[in-house]
Amino acid sequence: MKQENIRNFCIIAHIDHGKSTLADRFIQICGGLEEREMQAQVLDNNPIERERGITIKAQAVSLEYKAKNGETYQLNLIDTPGHVDFSYEVSRSLFSCEGAVLVVDASQGVEAQSVANCYTALEMNLEVLPVLNKVDLQNAEPERVADEIEQVIGIEASEALRISAKTGLNVVDVLEEIVAKLPAPKGNPDGKLQALIVDSWFDNYLGVVSLVRVINGRIQKGQKVRVISTGKDYEVTMLGVHTPKRVFKNALETGEVGFLIAGIKDIFGAPVGDTLTMSGNASVEQLPGFKKVQPRVFAGMFPVDADDFEDFRESLQKLRLNDSALVFEPENSGALGFGFRIGFLGLLHMEIVQERLEREYNLNLITTAPSVIYEVLYNDGTVKKIDNPAELPDPGMYDEVREPIIDCRVLMPPDYVGSVMQLCMEKRGSQKNLRYLGSQVQLEVEMPLSEVVTDFFDRLKSVSRGYASFEYEFSRFEAGDLVKLDVLVNGDKVDALSTIIHRSVSANRGRDLCERMQDVIHRQMFDIAIQAAIGAKIIARTTVKALRKNVIAKCYGGDLSRKRKLLEKQKEGKKRMKQVGSVEIPQEAFLAVLGMERKKGG
Amino acid sequence: MSASDLPLSLYLHFPWCVRKCPYCDFNSHALRGEVPEDDYIDALLRDLDFELERQAESRPLLSIFMGGGTPSLFSGRAMKRVLSEVQKRLVFAADIEITLESNPGTVDEAHFAEYREAGINRLSIGVQSLDAERLKALGRIHDPAQARRAVEIARRCGFDNLNLDMMYALPQQTVEQARTDLQGLIDLKPDHISYYQLTLEPNTEFAARPPALPDDDASWTMQEQGQQLLAAHGYQQYEVSAYAQTGRQSRHNLNYWGFGDYLGIGAGAHGKRTMNGEVRRRARQKHPRLYQEQAGTAESAQEDRVVAAKELPFEFMLNALRLNSGFAIPTYEARTGLAWNADATGLVEARKLGLVEEGDGKVRASALGQRHLNTLLTLFLD
Repeated sequence: MKQENIRNFCIIAHIDHGKSTLADRFIQICGGLEEREMQAQVLDNNPIERERGITIKAQAVSLEYKAKNGETYQLNLIDTPGHVDFSYEVSRSLFSCEGAVLVVDASQGVEAQSVANCYTALEMNLEVLPVLNKVDLQNAEPERVADEIEQVIGIEASEALRISAKTGLNVVDVLEEIVAKLPAPKGNPDGKLQALIVDSWFDNYLGVVSLVRVINGRIQKGQKVRVISTGKDYEVTMLGVHTPKRVFKNALETGEVGFLIAGIKDIFGAPVGDTLTMSGNASVEQLPGFKKVQPRVFAGMFPVDADDFEDFRESLQKLRLNDSALVFEPENSGALGFGFRIGFLGLLHMEIVQERLEREYNLNLITTAPSVIYEVLYNDGTVKKIDNPAELPDPGMYDEVREPIIDCRVLMPPDYVGSVMQLCMEKRGSQKNLRYLGSQVQLEVEMPLSEVVTDFFDRLKSVSRGYASFEYEFSRFEAGDLVKLDVLVNGDKVDALSTIIHRSVSANRGRDLCERMQDVIHRQMFDIAIQAAIGAKIIARTTVKALRKNVIAKCYGGDLSRKRKLLEKQKEGKKRMKQVGSVEIPQEAFLAVLGMERKKGG
Repeated sequence: MSASDLPLSLYLHFPWCVRKCPYCDFNSHALRGEVPEDDYIDALLRDLDFELERQAESRPLLSIFMGGGTPSLFSGRAMKRVLSEVQKRLVFAADIEITLESNPGTVDEAHFAEYREAGINRLSIGVQSLDAERLKALGRIHDPAQARRAVEIARRCGFDNLNLDMMYALPQQTVEQARTDLQGLIDLKPDHISYYQLTLEPNTEFAARPPALPDDDASWTMQEQGQQLLAAHGYQQYEVSAYAQTGRQSRHNLNYWGFGDYLGIGAGAHGKRTMNGEVRRRARQKHPRLYQEQAGTAESAQEDRVVAAKELPFEFMLNALRLNSGFAIPTYEARTGLAWNADATGLVEARKLGLVEEGDGKVRASALGQRHLNTLLTLFLD
């Protein structure tokens, strides 16, 4: 394919604004799949992504499009994640594109995450094509939304195409605009090979598979390539593209995007964001492919069965291969035994990692409540970062504790400003700015990150009936009046249940936490005392009363298999529990410290 | 002791009731029309012959239990016939215990006299409650007066070994009402009392439309006061729900709990026989009409399997740990054919949790283990 006929682009869209449907239409128009092969939303090919309707991992399809000018173009659609947790993936995907299609739901308007991703695209000098989707809906207001795009994002949108990905209306025009308005990849076809590893994943049969974008030069089958960061050389055994069917090729040219298999068995062999070059090209530089992102949220994960620890380690290593944001190190909890302290980008990232570990790797895990990183200024003037509340020393040993503060942007219709603001204040936020942009309001707030990793997203959704969208970035560490809230079960401190909270809410939260524990810890053979403490001071307590009896009333030689099943069920129920001392603590207890606001009447 | 020396009992099932009770999960069917007495007894005897053809039996029967359903829907003549036919095929121990279950709503004096004459020497009457309100909630066909009358008639007909069933933790029942109810039962001076908690069993009307039942704490208080009341009147608890005057424990049920053998004859009946070191369980077709068609042929088997050796410890414990006296280790070895392992994981865990007591070669559930028998038993699941 001629380099000037290649277009590399991505679609930027909020969840549900129709990105996957539009991608499906493109594939259909370009004949990538027969009608009967179209499985709805082809791009979301991880089952968890499909269930949740979000895209986590970057993927790419290569389509051949015969344009109205008679020329045939290679359109490479590189998928981008749509959730705020995954902005690092976005920037990596964007680096491999020259343009982006911004899809906005014409009935709902611009949402905060799209705004953030769009800014990133503009910063990276991508050409952004706005498109108004869902114009077939009765309540679509394309004029208003076009106006909003101009005001909020600041790009010309009066000419934006009005389409319906669902019905196919004007979708061909989008392809024509991609061809006409997005630039072809630059890059020197005769230069030394430089290719960005956009993504890597582990395939049980093929080993490590990488998605690469050739920036300069070309990659050929049979050549030896070098991974710059490790300096290791590998022979390229397979090259190809997804149309979305897997098609093998002999070479990838400058500007092209495709997959590469080079017999890399070691899961750290092809780090995402790294650069490939020809073996022996010592002078070639690393591409500024991505900035290493810092995990913001940490939680301990522990196998329920201690024997699974090594499997757990191996599974995490495999996951990290295509999730460079995942960091972990061994953790030893007094209550939960050996596990890992894992860093995540956000709560959704955490949930997805846990789900993948359990589903794909068949592990049974207990996850502790997520915590943010704190900076502790010790008496001797040293500063140490801690990502585990259990590590916070006794109050006498430090001068201050600093917590991460984030800059947040909330975009919403004006009706919800009051309730959203109230929520932000409740979460210790302070308002920085409030702007009316078209028919929406943008609220800028500073908040402690720790307040966002509890139940903030759920609350935001409910107070705005789902209309508010939210985006944030890290700002700074700031000292706060923070204390460690410990939980004691039958007098023993359960380190995995400790949290760091603001002193002003500690009394309420202690009481609340005890009540929650009482709800989720099953009655056992003896009374269980649950106490909340700050330092040596008990601030709240409850008791889980002993179960009086647990006996099958009648048993007379008849059908024993039913009684057996009943008892097997009881035994099975214990699998999701962790024995702490003599008490069985269910997974829900560890997350109960999270959702601090008791749901009333719900 | 070889396996063929295990004690042997016979269970005969009679699957019909006047009406199906909403809490009952036994194999019972509402009667439409007349009881097909002769046809059903013919089927029982074909079934027994078939069972004995497969494996002859020389052990004497220590007990027979005629359960249901409502066996007392059958006439004395029918019972006389079935027992005399059984006796042609099997040896009766000299002191054989023969129990018949009866419903106070189906009692008539002529029947009871004939039962006694037929050789039945123990009656078990399903009183369930002496409180009219509770009986209604339980869907029973009788009232308290009928229950009292049934006891009177039984005595008059010469039954000197009487069991009465009563349930507690009934819909809307208070602790005080449960006490009054039980005291009323004790006043009838039965020899044996089965006092058990109402539980909601799957596939019953109550499971589908659960009534409001007393909570865990109230049920426990009812049990504790019941145990005290029964003990104060000479009823010693020997199993989870069984209480008896001295010498009046149910031999038949003791054989179940002691992991003895039993032939199970009748629609949906379960049997257990130990042969050549193998424990075999057989269950019959449940549906009365199909049972009558299939009885005496291999077709009638709903289940016929050898219990895997690894399942035996659990099965044994499921029964034996129900007994307050537990079991002797030689009994365990004789009845399961397995060597006793004092270091078995389940047992070690049970000791650690204080759920068992051991000594003098005997093992039994501790007081805590009795209250949390299910937790104790899960430790023995393979």
